[in-house]
Amino acid sequence: MSTIEKSRRSFVLASLTGLNAAWVAANYPGILAAQEHVSAAVRAGQPPQLSFFTEAQAAEIDAMAAQIVPTDESPGAREAHCLYFIDRALSTFAKASQPLYHQGLQDLQAKTQQLYPDAAKFSALTSEQQIKVLTAIEKTPFFRTIRTHTVIGFFSRPVHGGNYDKIGWKLIGYDDSLNHKPPFGYYDAQA
Amino acid sequence: MKQFPPSTEVDYIVIGSGAAGGILAKQLSVAGFSVVVLEQGGWGKYGREHEYNKDEWLNRNLSDEDRLMSDPAQQRNTFRPNDKTKAVPGTHSYGCVVGGGTVTYGGSSWRHLPYEFNEASHDPTIPSGTGIADWPITYEELEPYYTQAEWEMGISGLRVNSPFIAPMSKDYPVPPVPLKSSGALFHTAAAKLGLTVVPGPLAIVTQPYMGRAACINCGICSGYGCQVRARSSSAVTVLPIAEKTGRCEIRARSYVREISVDNGGRVTGVIYFDAQKREVRQRAKAVILSANGSESARLLLLSKSARFPDGLANSSGLVGKYAMFGNVVNASALFEHPLNEYKGVISGAGIVDYVPSDPQRGFYGGGRLTARGYLTPLELGLEGLSPDAPHWGAGYKKALREEANHRMTITSFVTQLPLETNRVDLDPDVKDSWGLPAMRITSTAHPDDKKNMEFFRQKSIEILEAAGAKKVWAPPVNEAHGGAHNRGTCRMGNDPKTSVVDKYHRAHDVPNLFIVDGSNLVTGGRNHPTLTIQALAFRASEYIVRAAKEGMRQTKA
Repeated sequence: MSTIEKSRRSFVLASLTGLNAAWVAANYPGILAAQEHVSAAVRAGQPPQLSFFTEAQAAEIDAMAAQIVPTDESPGAREAHCLYFIDRALSTFAKASQPLYHQGLQDLQAKTQQLYPDAAKFSALTSEQQIKVLTAIEKTPFFRTIRTHTVIGFFSRPVHGGNYDKIGWKLIGYDDSLNHKPPFGYYDAQA
Repeated sequence: MKQFPPSTEVDYIVIGSGAAGGILAKQLSVAGFSVVVLEQGGWGKYGREHEYNKDEWLNRNLSDEDRLMSDPAQQRNTFRPNDKTKAVPGTHSYGCVVGGGTVTYGGSSWRHLPYEFNEASHDPTIPSGTGIADWPITYEELEPYYTQAEWEMGISGLRVNSPFIAPMSKDYPVPPVPLKSSGALFHTAAAKLGLTVVPGPLAIVTQPYMGRAACINCGICSGYGCQVRARSSSAVTVLPIAEKTGRCEIRARSYVREISVDNGGRVTGVIYFDAQKREVRQRAKAVILSANGSESARLLLLSKSARFPDGLANSSGLVGKYAMFGNVVNASALFEHPLNEYKGVISGAGIVDYVPSDPQRGFYGGGRLTARGYLTPLELGLEGLSPDAPHWGAGYKKALREEANHRMTITSFVTQLPLETNRVDLDPDVKDSWGLPAMRITSTAHPDDKKNMEFFRQKSIEILEAAGAKKVWAPPVNEAHGGAHNRGTCRMGNDPKTSVVDKYHRAHDVPNLFIVDGSNLVTGGRNHPTLTIQALAFRASEYIVRAAKEGMRQTKA
């Protein structure tokens, strides 16, 4: 089996089962390319360009991500640019998931119209309606994959395109200095 | 680095560069012998450790060149619970890089206790019908080498006088890691329950030591290379010393497929695949097999010959048997105030009162509870929330906010009874990426092991509640199907019928073959095997050097 075939197989497997330590996907040059692209865009002070999704598809994916980690009094997946993380992933090291996303978007449209016949598309629904649609598909491989990808985009290092402005890390109070001195927390400070 | 043409007969080939192999390479080359180390993994960031990544996403997607652990898609393996079941693709994985598992491990460095060397004849709780046996050496014989390992490798810790801790003849070279909030909560619970808390002894230096920097508590620790070289891996301690002798060559991405023998039954060298999967023959006067507690057995079984039709060094039929992979038990809890467990080492304080087996419990077993389990951002987001937390939406975000930094986990490392039926052998159908028969693991824990795991699960819940947890959860106990703590498959003993190597690690059947790694462990201790492997490696080295020099004197005479 070639490396690419193996990567594809393990990526699909991982996508379906949720990410774990055995997620041995991917091809390294692809990751580097993705990093390079996003870093360049960030340096230029511009939002990165879409390379896989059409604008219409991107609106749907962005709306889904924004329901997975919603925006409330603090920013969510939308502000963290999870869309761009997923877009880059699908056009580089996660190419194998492209068919899953293509089919998934079609199924999303079908489910949207089944539940809300008058709606043009998922992203046009109200937030409450969107939650109903996603709840109806939350057990599907597509939803589980986009949930995994959104979370990875939200919490990975910003160089990978998501976690813009360290939004994910700020939400969970993660100090990324990689250099800590005790006391670390409340209880050791009290001890 | 010194380079030997493969056609040159070197004094020793060392197969594997991890906890044992690194020490053998250093001790033998310093003693004046020529050594070729064959490591199936890559170089990692050997010698330029500051280049190790701390990037969670990148580290899960390393190239073959940068990989730190074996890949079950390449080092393919299969698993079945018993002989009646067809083996399915397995997940067994272990450190696979120059320095082996010591490059990425959490660093736990517990000694075996004195009674763990002769439990079979002394512990009344041991059930009948298991393969447990006494070691051919005592704690007293090994003690000086534990001390040597602690000082040469660089182990931090606190010397404690306790019946639950092995006695030490000398302090640790550097003080223990700082107390984390999980450790402080251990103390709170221990004060209520009358338990003993000690800082975990770790292969992580807390002060500058032998040219290496102190740990900076970066928190991206186990599973990652250490950028500041505070983790006392073979790659930053013994291997560079071996290399500097000018008598040791390390060859990475060298996957040994056979230990070769002559008609007289002596080892002549090995055949391995290089990075391009080309076969290379390396000749040697003797071979040291330190490939780990599962791969060493597999390589012996692969090394069949007319003289050794059942595999090399296997006249006992025990190569691969009595495999122990190491069971752990987890329980987690949320607390009112932030713990920030993501800062600092993975394995902090330990509770040691349940190390001995106790007849009153009604089964054999013991173990250590360790305060552990920081959650890095990806781990938290993907699978780190409490069991009933939503996976997406407003509830998910609320749980992220509330649970982040408020969680601690107790991981208990427990005994495992060696059973002859639990073993490593060659899968008849599946091949690895080199075309060799894949490792097949057959394993089911003894009923006492399962009772013991449940005991530690309950104790963990009790301790977390006593510490004042707001919410506690503990998944059902689950036994290991593989993993880096693999042990027992080439046990040491005095009788060639019931063991594979003698008390000095020489194969009973092959005079110039030594096996030195976790495979020699007769009993598994309380799981954490590395320091015992290192102590055995120092002791074996001393014997091998002495035997070689005596042999040379006799030859000259």
